[in-house]
Parts: sequence; C-alpha cells; structure tokens
Amino acid sequence: MRKLFAIVVLLTVSASAGDLNGKWSGTFKVDGGDHDIPQIFILRQSGNLLTGSGGPDAQEQYPVENGRVDGDRVKFEVTTGEWKFAYDLRQTEPDVLKGNLELKSINNSRTATVALSKSK
Amino acid sequence: MLLGTTGSIIAFEPELDRLLHPHLSYASPESEALSLGQISDAVSRRFVGEPIVAFLLPSSPDFSAQVVLPSGIVYVNQYTGEILGVRTRGQTFLGFARALHVRLATGDVGKDILKWSAVAMLFSLASGLYLWWPLQRVRIRGGWRHRRFWFDLHHALGIFSLFPLLVLAVTGTIIGFEDQATRLINKLSGSAMLTIPQTGARTEPTRGAIPITPDEAVAIARAEMPGTTPYRVQMPRFGGLYRVSLRSSQDKLMGDRNSVAVDPRSGTVISSVRSGDSSIAQRILAANEAIHTGNVFATPSRILVCLTSITLPLQAFSGLLMWLRRNKILLD
Repeated sequence: MRKLFAIVVLLTVSASAGDLNGKWSGTFKVDGGDHDIPQIFILRQSGNLLTGSGGPDAQEQYPVENGRVDGDRVKFEVTTGEWKFAYDLRQTEPDVLKGNLELKSINNSRTATVALSKSK
Repeated sequence: MLLGTTGSIIAFEPELDRLLHPHLSYASPESEALSLGQISDAVSRRFVGEPIVAFLLPSSPDFSAQVVLPSGIVYVNQYTGEILGVRTRGQTFLGFARALHVRLATGDVGKDILKWSAVAMLFSLASGLYLWWPLQRVRIRGGWRHRRFWFDLHHALGIFSLFPLLVLAVTGTIIGFEDQATRLINKLSGSAMLTIPQTGARTEPTRGAIPITPDEAVAIARAEMPGTTPYRVQMPRFGGLYRVSLRSSQDKLMGDRNSVAVDPRSGTVISSVRSGDSSIAQRILAANEAIHTGNVFATPSRILVCLTSITLPLQAFSGLLMWLRRNKILLD
C-alpha cells in the first residue's frame, strides 16, 4: 500500500513538472516601471535541467544559465549586458509560467513580475 | 527632504562610485592601451570557462576597462591587463539613493508618491514666493542660535534657489509623467516612435567559419559612424550579434544613443541607430532629463543641481523650525 502511495506521489510530482520544451512568450513589468517588457524564450528541458535562450525578441537571444526544474518550480538566469535576470517561476498551468524576476546590476537590484505562455 | 538629499548624492554618482572603489576604477596611463582581444585573454586566464558578456570601454585614459561576466564585473588595467578586482551585482548605497530618489525604493506606489511630490513642490515654490514678496528679505542676521536666523535663512535660501528649484520641479514632474508627456509631444508634433532600420542580412552559421574579433567589430562600427567613440561592446553569444554602442561628442543630449549591430560571421552591419535620427519626443525628453540631472552643461550644471538639491533639506528643516517657533518669531 505504501509503495502504491509512493508511486502515485511520484507520478503526481512528475506530472506537475510539465514539458517546458518549446517557445514561450510573454512580458515582465518592473515594480515601479511604466512598461511591459516583451520576452521570448526557447527552452529545452532535460530532466531537471533547463537550457535554451531568451531575450526581448526572436533575434536578440541570450543563453539561459543555471536552469533548474523542481516540481512546478522553474528557476533560471539570463545575463544581458550589465544586468543579471534571475527568474523564479511556477508552472501554474501546462502552458503558463508565472512568477517573479530579480534584476541586478552593479549598483541596483529591482524586482518584476513575469507571465509567459507556451506558443502552440 | 528625501528628494533633495538623494538628488544631491546621485548628481555625482559616477564620481562617488569611483571614490568608493578607487583601487578598481583607475589605471596609470601608459603609451598604448591593450586591444579587446588582449584584455579578453587576461580575463579568460583568470576566470576560466566564464563567457564574456560585454566590454565597457574606459572613457578616460586613467580609468580601468570593465569586462562584464555572468558572475560580475571585472575591472582590468587597460594598459597591463592586470585584474584589479571584481564587483558582484546587487544593491549598494548609491543604488539605494537612486532607488529612493526615483521610486522611494519601492514599486509603483513609491513612484506615484514621488511624481505627485514634484507637482506639490511647484505649489510650494509658488506659495513661498507669495510669502517672501511682502518682506523681500535676502540677508541673514544673527547666529544660528538666534531665532531670527532660521527665518532669514529660509527666506534668503528660498529666493536664491527659487529658479533652479523651479527648473528641477518642472523637469522632475515631466519625468514622473513621461508616458503622458511622450503621447502629448507626439500628438503635438505629429511624430511617432522610430523603428530601427535593418540595413544588412544576417548570415547563417557555417561550420569552420572564423567569427570576427571584438576589435574588428569595433573598427567596423567606427567606420559606420565616423567621429564617434565606442564605449560598450556586447558579445554575440549574448544577443546573437556584436552590438557596439558609440558616443558622439557633437550631440550633447543624446550622444551616447548611437549603436551598430554587426554580424559576427560576415562583419556585415545589420542595423545602426543614430542619435540624430531620434524623434522630437525622444529629444525633448532627453533634454528634460539632462536638465534635471545636470548633464546638460557637464560639471558646472551638475554642481548647480547638487547645490540646489541641498537647499531642499535646508528649506524643509528651517521651515519646520519656523513653524515650531512661529509665535516667538512673530513677537521678534
């Protein structure tokens, strides 16, 4: 009975992780900022590891660094010039990632909210 | 009080940053500076495996070069290649002062409070002039312990700083309502935001093809925009193209808004953005910001902005003392 319960729990956890492979688009808005900034990510998931690229459009893409998937939690970083973008997202639906973003430069640290959806 | 104190600090933010980190910021000038390739080699030897995100080129012969890595910013002696140190990203005192000044170090609420504070300051200046006018006091009498001193100080400082404070309040209000200001200027001038023209086609990666070096990308960008000085080079791994930012000394307002995107495989210029092509709204808003920060006339105007900002906390303090001692001053 315990084994069956463990299998059910494992299946539930792996199901919530979802398939992140593919193109994701959306926006982020910095707290205190005026605009929604567009984002496009091409993500590749291999188990718990997440790689790929992201940026403001399909042409300007930056490598995804330190990508990690734990359950429905998706964390990764992108460095664009002086800024480091650290994403901490949750897969709230199979095709939706929502969460927070911390932006850090040499003197500043800001937070933003992010919403991405998977392109069909 | 907060706006004035933080404004006086960030008026000299780059200088203060160098003052706080002198060992990282400076390099003794020698006959010839290293190429970006040589600086890149020096950094790669020390930070093995870390890709270079961008180069920030020194704006003065006695400044160090900066190399941006994912883990932080490396400061390099531009003549010897010596690694002077690394700074990690994150909030610092200067960053916090700026965050306080632009959004009370919070989000939307702080920004809204500040932009309406700028509007309130316009009314405060008008009421101050109205109250000053009957006495027209410009001299300060007595020592600081004397009750009359703060009354005179408030009046004298107020009238001498009235015009520069008015300029800061107006320009600060426009910055606070920048979206609305942009729409208004675009409507009045009939202009719209410009799109970046694509002048060349990107080449597809070819096996065995040798990409151009950052030094070659800079040379291509300089040839594309003669008379400008490069100050930043973004590497193609981080964005797909070399993106070289260049400064034009001819354009005081938007001179640092030139950029050239170069294909790393063919060396073709993919797009170029020139500050001279900016829309009317962009130029007006850039001029407004340059006036507010004091960058419009370089150091003299920054000193003026700094001194004017300092009068704000002094005016707030002397005004508070006057209010607390209002009965005594009336009897004086």
